[in-house]
Amino acid sequence: MPEIPLINLVGPPNSGKTTLFNIFSGKHFKTVNYPGSTVEYSSSDFLDKFNIKAKILDSPGLISLNANSPDEEVAVESLFYQPNNGIPNLILVTADASQITRHLLLTKQIIEAGFKVVLVLTMIDILNRKNLKVNTKLLSEILGIDVVTVNARTEEGIDDLIRVIKKNLSGAKSTPEYQRLNEFKEKEYLIKTYEDIEKIVNQVIEPLNPDIQNANRQLNILNPLLRESTQKPDALTLKIDKILLHKYFGFIFFLIMMGAIFTSIFWLAAPLMDLVDTLFSILASYASETLGNNWYSDLISDGIISGTGAVLIFLPQILILFLILGLLEDTGYLARGAMLIDKPLSKIGLNGKSFVPMLSGFACAIPAILSTRTISNRRERLLTIFIIPLMSCSARLPVYVLLIAYLIPSDRPWLGGFILSFVYLVSIILSVIVAYVINKFNKSLIKEKDDSSFILELPTYKLPKLRVVLRNSFENSKEYILRAGPIILVLSLIIWSLTYLPNNVPDFDKTGLTEDEIVQLEKAERISNSYAAKIGTFIEPIMHPLGLDWRVGVSLIAAFAAREVFVSSMALIFKVTDDENIQTSLLTAMRNAKVESTGEPLFTKATSIGLIFFFIFALQCISTLAVSRKETGSWRIPILQLVIFTSTAYVFTFIIVNLLKSIGIN
Amino acid sequence: MKKASELNFGEKGIIKDIITLNPSYKRIIEIGFTPGQEIQLVNTSIFNDPLTFSLRGTLIALRKNQADCIILN
Repeated sequence: MPEIPLINLVGPPNSGKTTLFNIFSGKHFKTVNYPGSTVEYSSSDFLDKFNIKAKILDSPGLISLNANSPDEEVAVESLFYQPNNGIPNLILVTADASQITRHLLLTKQIIEAGFKVVLVLTMIDILNRKNLKVNTKLLSEILGIDVVTVNARTEEGIDDLIRVIKKNLSGAKSTPEYQRLNEFKEKEYLIKTYEDIEKIVNQVIEPLNPDIQNANRQLNILNPLLRESTQKPDALTLKIDKILLHKYFGFIFFLIMMGAIFTSIFWLAAPLMDLVDTLFSILASYASETLGNNWYSDLISDGIISGTGAVLIFLPQILILFLILGLLEDTGYLARGAMLIDKPLSKIGLNGKSFVPMLSGFACAIPAILSTRTISNRRERLLTIFIIPLMSCSARLPVYVLLIAYLIPSDRPWLGGFILSFVYLVSIILSVIVAYVINKFNKSLIKEKDDSSFILELPTYKLPKLRVVLRNSFENSKEYILRAGPIILVLSLIIWSLTYLPNNVPDFDKTGLTEDEIVQLEKAERISNSYAAKIGTFIEPIMHPLGLDWRVGVSLIAAFAAREVFVSSMALIFKVTDDENIQTSLLTAMRNAKVESTGEPLFTKATSIGLIFFFIFALQCISTLAVSRKETGSWRIPILQLVIFTSTAYVFTFIIVNLLKSIGIN
Repeated sequence: MKKASELNFGEKGIIKDIITLNPSYKRIIEIGFTPGQEIQLVNTSIFNDPLTFSLRGTLIALRKNQADCIILN
């Protein structure tokens, strides 16, 4: 069987590498505008229309073959040899023609390492706008490799590139030498290579319009460095930055921008989330009515349908979050935001690039943890993952809403908004403190060396490509569903079994009750006798110091499937039978609830405030733990997160409840 | 001996050398800060850190302690 040739696509960040990969593979990937964003590599066959039998790999963006982080090390090493794919037959290196000097460093290193290379020059249109062009024939002669210009947007030059790839695949394979990497690390080598590249660039960059050739020649004599008018950054970008990166207004604009994103995650998504919620409630009650009152009906309606609903309810928020962040990234603002916030975040051991993941954490910790891949420093990345569960994700919102509604007098509903904002403020402050403390114990907790750095290219501003941003938002949301969906669903089923089995419903007086009320009461009796209730009774000694009893304990356990399940499980356990307005009847039930052993009221101001604090801290989300395990590579960090956050939650709640009680707030 | 971190807002300078003060000095060279290049400080942000330099037709943000590695003429 003939071996399928392997082509590796390599290039600096923002060199159009991923766009090229999308053209070849027909797969729709992200066009990155944020240096260092493609951390995983992608693999694909060429589309049939190109008629090339070869596998193409898209590796992460590289500035040089000198790895600067563990992720880069993996990317560089896999160029030389990949266990699954072997040595690449050919490497396609992309370089931004308007940044040709900086981007040729990688090309030169790859050629010198002994690879067979085809250079693909992109963004030639930007260079042309500066009245310049690249003499590709001359460049090809100097470098000794084939050079092709491609406009990735119009696909101009792709046919040419395909022809060159075919030609190069027919010849001898690459014979890379890994040892050459040591040489590339020398400062003298780097500076010398840059000098060589500058000489090459001076030869191959030519005026587009021969009329101004003379003027350019004169300039050339005066100052050879000015020859390359690619030296000037985009004028419009500089103008916009004068406003958006203004020393003072720049930061105010940033804060307003982030505030707007933050609120829109909630306000824009709210009606859609309600829609998903209503849809699944209707579906669940339809299923339970059609299938009758039996165990499989319950499994389908309360287990499977509600479980799926628990996954999908966050979809609108995640979609909106990705959409807004995608737009900001595509315009070029996101990199600037990371720069603006880097200083304060570096004080607590984080990085400017930690900011977006932290913001995403307010919607859902799972996409937030996935998005930490843009942080190249491993310690900062792990620390960011560590504190993300402290961002009050939207699953906690229904719990806060219920407890706050319980706390405030019904004639002063406006107070609720204030308390809610206060809760978010507290959670932000607490996460800052925790990051600071964890960072102090870096050696024993995170176990990574502190070699923090922040080098970020600020991309040229441009209009976002809405089609690309929309597609990426859908891709990312799909990834959330595929990653988190199965975990949440399986857990929901486990929790459902715990609250349903052993399906023990004692007889009770049914006189004068409607059919619906009987079904609800049966459910309530079943949960009171369930395994979950047994676990709840078992942990009652732990709940007692908090002024709470087994019923809240069961709801807290159920909340491990998804935090908002706390509310529905409270409704079950407090035997709320009114389907029309669960919250009002649940609040009444909570007002009347007594601690069974002592007869004291169960929900006091103290215990409710305590519970809010419990939810701010506690890591009650198994999906988060699973994703944290996957992204950090071991169980150490997720277990530390679970133990530290949940025990802190307990201790904090204990202190707050008893402090409030002792000063007479009850 | 003037460092890039000591440039005033809008001020230009020619790089003389990159010193090994910060572990990331190699990356600083690789991204294009090489002797002979002209750089300009174009943004300082409210905290005076990181600093944004215009270099080789692009904008690069660096932390102040990294810009300390860049020695100017």
